[in-house]
Amino acid sequence: MSLAVALFLLLNLVAALVAAARGPTPADRMLTALLFGSTGVGVLVLLAHAMALPSLVDVALTLALLAAIAGIAFARRAWHSAGQADD
Amino acid sequence: MIELAGNLLLLIGAFFYFAGTVGLVRFPDVYTRLHALAKADNLGLGCVLAGLALQADSLAAALKLLLIWPLALAASAAVSYAIANRAQALGVRPWQGEERS
Amino acid sequence: MEQTRGAGQDGGWFPYWTRRFVVFAVLWWVLAEGRFDAWWLGLVGVALATWGSMRLLPAGRHGVSLAPTLRFLAFFVWNSLRGGVQVAAMALRPRPDLAPALIEIDLSHLPPGTARVLMLNTLGLMPGTLGVRLEESRLRLHVLDARLPVVAEARELEAHIARLFGGRP
Repeated sequence: MSLAVALFLLLNLVAALVAAARGPTPADRMLTALLFGSTGVGVLVLLAHAMALPSLVDVALTLALLAAIAGIAFARRAWHSAGQADD
Repeated sequence: MIELAGNLLLLIGAFFYFAGTVGLVRFPDVYTRLHALAKADNLGLGCVLAGLALQADSLAAALKLLLIWPLALAASAAVSYAIANRAQALGVRPWQGEERS
Repeated sequence: MEQTRGAGQDGGWFPYWTRRFVVFAVLWWVLAEGRFDAWWLGLVGVALATWGSMRLLPAGRHGVSLAPTLRFLAFFVWNSLRGGVQVAAMALRPRPDLAPALIEIDLSHLPPGTARVLMLNTLGLMPGTLGVRLEESRLRLHVLDARLPVVAEARELEAHIARLFGGRP
């Protein structure tokens, strides 16, 4: 079951990446950053279960942690530069 | 029984991921697409993690899976705000509906 | 900021760092999936994490108490479920019927800094709202469907966050 769901999510990820990469504005292409954080992590934990590789859970956890740190660092510029030099 | 509930949660999770992708393809602009990805995909991930946690070998392993969820939520929330903010700074106008624009 | 220590939420009989030590020890236990074969490494890690957190975030600056935190978490989890279900339904409808709009709400009831940033980020996972720009106390939101009661829900979230930070709602 978890393998089937993992493959389904991979298909989803590919379709979403194509849709985001085609997107008309540069902002649409930034959506790919979100996809790896959510779908990528989901695929990893499902594969960890399907293939009995518990260390993939650590990979997923580390990926989520890095995505959170990177996302917050990225967004801090927008939080703190409000009103200056941003537009 | 628990195995069944876990598999059901995995299927529900897959459904929300699918809905997020459909939203990404069908929604008209970057802001509405951000809504679809940030909310639906994270709910999908939450269901998948909960489903796997139900089938985990130990309580600690289950909690470890569930620990991933708040991290992914924090990442999505921060990144989706950063993208929306950037889009606005780049002058991307929100879609206002075909007849009204 | 320091006077929030006296609010009776400070651990009472135990030194403040013991609470953090316990939290980090549980975190280690979870990360090690309940195995104890490297407990000495865990002990060193937990001690370092406690020391580092006390240096970086000294006690007392975060007068966040338990009951409002749990209520906030329950509110948040329930509403992020609603948000996901709602946006999934909108995406899968045969004819997408969106009425997006940009609205501005005033956040001057919340203290600047962490409380406002938390509000902004939580809104991004709640039904139909997405933060676009936070400027001083004004928050610009993109809403998926302006016909839904998004402002009322944002106010409800604001009240939860105000209670979380010990302010008046």
